[in-house]
Amino acid sequence: MIDVKTKINSFFIFNSSFGPREGEEIKRVLFFHPNQISSDARKIQVGLCEAVVKFMSTFTSEPCEALQTQTKRYIFYQPEKGYWMVLVVRIPYTTKAVSAIGEGRAEFLDPSVMNDLLVSAYKMFRMFMGPFKDIPIEEIYSTCDEFFAPFIMSRNLTNDISDVIQGISYLPLDKNCFFKVMCFIDLLEVNYPDFKCISFVYNDQLIWNGLSSNDMLTLYQYLVQTLLPKQVEKEIQGGAIAAAQRHGRFISPPEGIRTQDDLRKLVKVHLLREDETETKQYYLIIYRTLSATVCFTIDVNTHLEIDTFRSLDAFIGPQLSTIASTISEQCAIHALQTAQLANTEHKFVYFNRLNLAFKTYPPVNKLIPSTSIKPEVLSIIAGIHADKKSLGNYGEVIIKTPDEYWITGKSSNDREFYVVIQEKNANLKEISDEVKRICEAQMKGIFFYPM
Amino acid sequence: MASTSKDNVQAGPSVQSNPSDDLEPGACPESILNPTDSFDEFASEMSCSLQERNKSLAAKSSTISEIQSEIGDSEKDGSEMKSTKSSDDLQSKNGNMSASASSSNLIEENGDDEDNEKDDYLQSPELVNKEKHVFVLSSAGKPIYSRYGNEDKLAGLCGVIQALVSVIEDQNQDILRSISTKDCKTVFLVKGPLILVAVSKSNESETQLVLQLTYAFNQIVSVLTLTQLNRIFEQRRNYDLRRLLSGAERLIDNLFVFMEKDPAFLLGAVRCLPLPEKARENITNAITTTCHKIRDLVFAILIAGNQLITLVRMKKYTLHPSDIHLLFNLVRSSESFKTAESWTPICLPKFDATGFLHGHVSYISEDCQACLLLLTVQRDAFFPLSQAKHTIAEKLRRSNCLVAINDALNRNEELPTTNPLKHIGIPEIRHFMYKCKSTAQLFTSDPISLDRLQDYRIKHKEGGDITVKKIEKLSDIDYVRNYRRFCSQIHCTSIPAKLIFRSNPHDTILAWVTNGFELYVTFDPLMDKDQAIKAVDRLLRWIKREEQRIFIMNAPTF
Repeated sequence: MIDVKTKINSFFIFNSSFGPREGEEIKRVLFFHPNQISSDARKIQVGLCEAVVKFMSTFTSEPCEALQTQTKRYIFYQPEKGYWMVLVVRIPYTTKAVSAIGEGRAEFLDPSVMNDLLVSAYKMFRMFMGPFKDIPIEEIYSTCDEFFAPFIMSRNLTNDISDVIQGISYLPLDKNCFFKVMCFIDLLEVNYPDFKCISFVYNDQLIWNGLSSNDMLTLYQYLVQTLLPKQVEKEIQGGAIAAAQRHGRFISPPEGIRTQDDLRKLVKVHLLREDETETKQYYLIIYRTLSATVCFTIDVNTHLEIDTFRSLDAFIGPQLSTIASTISEQCAIHALQTAQLANTEHKFVYFNRLNLAFKTYPPVNKLIPSTSIKPEVLSIIAGIHADKKSLGNYGEVIIKTPDEYWITGKSSNDREFYVVIQEKNANLKEISDEVKRICEAQMKGIFFYPM
Repeated sequence: MASTSKDNVQAGPSVQSNPSDDLEPGACPESILNPTDSFDEFASEMSCSLQERNKSLAAKSSTISEIQSEIGDSEKDGSEMKSTKSSDDLQSKNGNMSASASSSNLIEENGDDEDNEKDDYLQSPELVNKEKHVFVLSSAGKPIYSRYGNEDKLAGLCGVIQALVSVIEDQNQDILRSISTKDCKTVFLVKGPLILVAVSKSNESETQLVLQLTYAFNQIVSVLTLTQLNRIFEQRRNYDLRRLLSGAERLIDNLFVFMEKDPAFLLGAVRCLPLPEKARENITNAITTTCHKIRDLVFAILIAGNQLITLVRMKKYTLHPSDIHLLFNLVRSSESFKTAESWTPICLPKFDATGFLHGHVSYISEDCQACLLLLTVQRDAFFPLSQAKHTIAEKLRRSNCLVAINDALNRNEELPTTNPLKHIGIPEIRHFMYKCKSTAQLFTSDPISLDRLQDYRIKHKEGGDITVKKIEKLSDIDYVRNYRRFCSQIHCTSIPAKLIFRSNPHDTILAWVTNGFELYVTFDPLMDKDQAIKAVDRLLRWIKREEQRIFIMNAPTF
C-alpha cells in the first residue's frame, strides 16, 4: 500500500479571480496541503500553475491537464470554471523499467490513477458540500479545509485494479431474490412517500440503484471505502451487536436517530436521482441490518418528525433482516458454484462503461491489498482503458511484455474485458484461444467480437 | 542473448515451423552505422538531474582533432580552448538564471503586460490551427526560430517560455519537461544556451517530440558547431542568433516536414536505396579505389533521394543515423548543390559537435540524382576531392551503376523492391516497415521515388494546418502516423512491450521487437491471428531473400 503522505507532494485548490490585486495573491489559494507550507511558497506554486494554465490557453481551448518536470508531475483538474485542483505527485520524468529496480514495485503508480483521484475528490466534495460556485466566498476556505484535509489524509492509494478502473461491483441474484428486494423497496416508497430509496448494497456489492450512474459511483465509493469499513469495524469490536443489529439501525448520522435533536444532525447531500433532471439537495439517511445497507433521500424542504423515523425503523428492521438472510444464503450457494468454475489461474477484469459494472478475478478486497497484478501490467491496462478510441466499437489488443506477461484487452461497444496471462513460450494464437475460453466460461452471454 | 531471441521468435509468429528462429534479415557482423539505440541513449540523457545536465555539455574529446593528430597534422584547431569554454558555460548559465528569476511575479507581469499583444498574434491566421509549432529561443528569452509566423512578433511568448523554464529551474531545482491538455502537448528542451519548444496536436508521444527538438538543436549545431554556439552566448547573453543562422531556418523547416513524414526518424534508422548487390559493390569499389590514397578523407557518402547508396569510412569511425539524417536534410534542402560542386563546412553533432568537417558536395552527373559527399578534416582539399569525384563519376558511368541507381530511383517496374507488397504476394498486408537493429537500417513497403521526394520538398502542401479529411485510402504517411503510438509503446522506458497485436474495425496492426529487428505491419481489419502469424513469417523470409538488395551488408573502409 502506498502512503499518500510520502507519495503526494502537495495538493491545492485555487481560483485566480479571488484576490485579483497585487499583494492579495494568497486569497487565490482556497486550500493547500500540506498546511505547514509557508504562504510565500504557496504563492509561488499557485503562481506557476496559473502561468502554465495561461500559457496553454494560448494554443488550445482544452484545459490544462498535466505539467511534467524532471521529478514531479502536476495534475490539473478544472471541475468548474476558474476553480483549479492541482495534485503534485513525485513521478520522475523517465523511469527505467520498473522490474529492474526490485524495490520500485510499489512506487510505481499510473498517472491516470492520480487524475481519477482528483475527479473523485471533487465529486465527493460536490456531493456533500455542493459546487464551489454556490459556496459563499467567506466560507469557502473553511469548507475546503474541513472537507479536503481529512479526505487527502485518509486516502490510501493502492496499486490495485479497482483504482485503475473505477466501477461498481454488482451482486448477481436469482429472480426470486431480486424480486423480494424490489418488493421491499416498492412497499417502502408507497408507505413513506417522502422517502426515496436510492441504493441497496449487500456487503460491498450493489443490488439496486436509484441515482444517475455518475452520482451512484460517488455514493458507492463513499459507502464502500469510507462509511462501511468504519461500521464493520465497530460491529466487530462491539457490544452493540446483539439485538440492535439484528433489527437494524440508522448508521448516518453515526449516532443513529433517536430523538428530535438527532434530526438536525442529518447529512445533506447534492445528488441527481435517476428519475429527475437536475441535482437537488437531500437529506441522506442510511440504514443497515446484518450485511444489507439501504440509502434513502428526503427532500430538504420536507418537515421531519421523529415518529416517522421510529415507525420506519420498525417497518424496515424485520423485513430487511429477512431479505438479508435470504441473500446471504444465495451468496453462499453462488460462491460455491464460482469456486468450482473459477479454476483459472489467470486474472481478468470486466467493466461496462454504461452501468459501471465491474468484476475481477481474483476478487478485489479493499482491506487486503492485492499484489497479484504487477504495476507495469496495471499501467498497460490503464493505457488500454484510457485509449478507448483505438479499439473502436469492437476490437482487441494483445500486448506482450519482456517478462512474459500477455495482456489482452477486448472491447465491444461499452464493455471491456481484460485478461492477464503469464506464460513462457506461448504464442499469439494460444493466448487468444485461452482468452476466448476464459471469456466463455466467465462471461456467459456477453458477446465480444472478434472472437 | 541467444536464448531470448529464440524465445521471442517462438512467442511471436512462426509456431510450427521453426526455421525463422535465426531469421534476422539484414543483420551483418559489422555496420557502417553506429547502431547505438538512440532511444536508450535518449533515455539516459533525459533522466539526468538539473546539475548533471549543466555539466553534461562539458568537454568531450574531439574526434576531429583525434583524427588530425593521427594523421600527424599538429594543427589543433583550438580544441583545448573548447573544453575550458564549455565548463565555463555552467557558471554563466547560473548567472543568467539568477538574473532572470524574480519569482512568480515575473510570470504574472509577463503574462499581463504582453498578453494582449501576444494573444492577438497567436490567433492570427498564420499561426492559429497549426498541427505543430516549434520555437527556439536563447536562454535569455530572445526568439531565434519559429516554424510559423514571424519570430519578432513572438518576443512576448518567448519571454513567457523563458520565465516558465527558469522559474522551475530556479525555485524548484527541477527541469520543465512538458505540459499537456487533452488535445495538445508542449514539450521543452533546454540544450546549452538554447531553449527549444514544440507545441503539438499530433499523435506523437512526448519522447518523439523531444527527439525532434534534439534534431532541431543538432541542425543548429551542424551549422555553427557547439563550440561556437556556446562561445557566442558566453560573450553576449543577449546575442541575436538569427544573424548567424540566416539560411538555416529553411533547413529546420524542412527537417520538421521530413521528420513528420519519414519513418526513419521514428525508428532511428537509415533508409538504403535498394540496389542489386553487384551494383552496390561496384559503386563502393569505385569509391575506395579512387579515394584510398587521400589521407584526410574521413567519409565518402553517396546518397539519393534521402536514401543511402553507400558509405565508405576511415577505419574505426562510424556515423550515427542522426548525422546521416542531417546530411540527407542538407542535400535535400539545398538546390545549389545541383548546379555546382560545393565546398562547405559541416558539423556532424554526433560525430564531433565541437568542430567542422569540410565537405565536397556534388551530384554525380546531370542525368543521375545521386549526390556524393566527401568529408575531410583538411580545410583546403577542394581540388584533390573534386578530382576524385570526377574519377568516381566516370567509373560509375562505365560500370553502368548510374543506370542501376536511376532504375531504383524511378522505381522501375521490374525490380522486386519497387512494389514489395505485390512481389511478396500477401494481399492481407497493407503496409509494413522493418528495421534491422544491428545495422540501424530500415526498409518499408513504400520505397521513396523521385516524385515522392518532390512531394517532400514542396514545402508542406497543407501548410501544417490541422485538417479533418475524409479518409478514403490511406497514404503511406498515414500508415506511418498510425505506427507512432506503437513505436512509443515498444520503446517506452518504463513499461516496454515486446509485441503488440491490435485489431479494430479499421485495420489490424502488429508491432514486434526482438533482439535483432523491429517490425510493424498493417493488415486488413479483424485479421485472424493464425493468418497474421503466417503472413509475418512469409514477410520475414522475403526480406531475408532480398536482404542483399535492400540493405548495405558490409562496412567498407578506405
